[in-house]
Amino acid sequence: MRQTPLFNAYARHGARVVDFHGWALPVQFRGIVEEHLHTRRAAGVFDCSHMGEFMVRGAEAIAALDRLVIGNLTALKTGRCRYTALLNADAGIIDDCVALRLSQEEMYFVTNAGPLEEVSALLAARVPGVEDQSAATAKIDVQGPRSREILLSLGLQAAAPLAYWSGVRTEWRGVPLVVTRAGYTGELGYELYVPADAGEAVWDAVLAAEGTMPCGLGARDTLRSEMAYPLNGDDLDPSRTPLETAMDRFIAWETEFPGKARLLHQRDAGDYERLTPVKSLDRRAPRAGFEVFDGADRAGTVTSGTFGPSLGCGVGLAYLSPAAAVPGKRLTAGPRALEIEVCEAPVYREGTCRVKITG
Amino acid sequence: MNPELLRFTETHEWIGADDGGLYVVGISDHAQHELGDVTYVDLPRPGARLEQGAKAAEVESVKAASDIYAPVAGVVAAVNAELDAATELVNQEPYGAGWFFKLQDVDPASLESLMTHDQYKAFCGE
Repeated sequence: MRQTPLFNAYARHGARVVDFHGWALPVQFRGIVEEHLHTRRAAGVFDCSHMGEFMVRGAEAIAALDRLVIGNLTALKTGRCRYTALLNADAGIIDDCVALRLSQEEMYFVTNAGPLEEVSALLAARVPGVEDQSAATAKIDVQGPRSREILLSLGLQAAAPLAYWSGVRTEWRGVPLVVTRAGYTGELGYELYVPADAGEAVWDAVLAAEGTMPCGLGARDTLRSEMAYPLNGDDLDPSRTPLETAMDRFIAWETEFPGKARLLHQRDAGDYERLTPVKSLDRRAPRAGFEVFDGADRAGTVTSGTFGPSLGCGVGLAYLSPAAAVPGKRLTAGPRALEIEVCEAPVYREGTCRVKITG
Repeated sequence: MNPELLRFTETHEWIGADDGGLYVVGISDHAQHELGDVTYVDLPRPGARLEQGAKAAEVESVKAASDIYAPVAGVVAAVNAELDAATELVNQEPYGAGWFFKLQDVDPASLESLMTHDQYKAFCGE
């Protein structure tokens, strides 16, 4: 298994390590529920170094990248992030990604671990001069309502003015880094992209601050599930289009992208299954692979599900037929006919991610 | 209960006699550790007759759902109602307050086929 630059730090915190897409990553340190709840009320610290980072430089290269994704990256303003997706010729999602315009001439492009080899090859072939910085970068997410005050107490002043889904390049304690106000937990939070050889020092410095706790993939999964954020490989893959994964608002129809003709056809037909948040009515969870029924009629399939510690019930994502994907509708799932209810995203409503920073 | 005095299955249940002559069943410390935070327990109906190895209960953790099997044949005499509201007891006290159910009408000799604590620890590679 591949190890991230922070691997040696896990043992100091009692990590339980698992194989995630070929990476040795911590699934938990003290426990998934404790880490989840701590992130919701203070600040959790996550190693996301397995993810991919690419630097795209120059107008021509940015335009080339733009042609591969559903969003309008050319129009992205400096300092802003955009959630987007790389499509294949059939409009299937190769990867869901985040683009950050660092300057007029530079686009930072963040991708998932699962499809990293394919994405790296695709970008190398299609985006002139693209630099794959994945192996040279450690990514540390600091997430939770206290994350901002904690980073400021550590002297990371560049985080102070960042609005939701924006980012900046800065320097902290002599380490060059990119910091974004983003993440995948639903809480106020920041992602720190630092050189791999400085990763462990940054990880230790953040975790030395009062209010922080190391968190694993388990808590990351329960946190994102409560927010109905899809997980690459589980909820979306090349067999699904951005319409099916409910990424409608990230599709720039005025731009060109692979599979656009098929996507237009799908949009006009309108009869596609849609990735939809669901919750159970008790503590049992809908699980990946559960078939969903509306009475006796097949209504779809659960692609991920877990217990939601902040909700106190099961929560998950399911591909549902248009007739079934109606908020409030009661359905059943799985071999024991677990009762579930269709929800609107996010299922967890108290997240602090959008909090406005003033003064 | 003292795990040294319990018997264990390859599916990670434990069983042992209590002071009242009933046989208490739960899951091992190794099992709760592997499951992680337990979030839901579905217990058998009191009075139900269980064959050895029959599915008796279901336990869900954050990550997955697992079946719990009867270590020996018997009749369900009681279930641990505390687990409805406090599933974390399974993690905190797997050999105590986190018990699942109690059996009666158990043939004491049927426990002899199960592993001792030392054998179970070896089975788990501990």
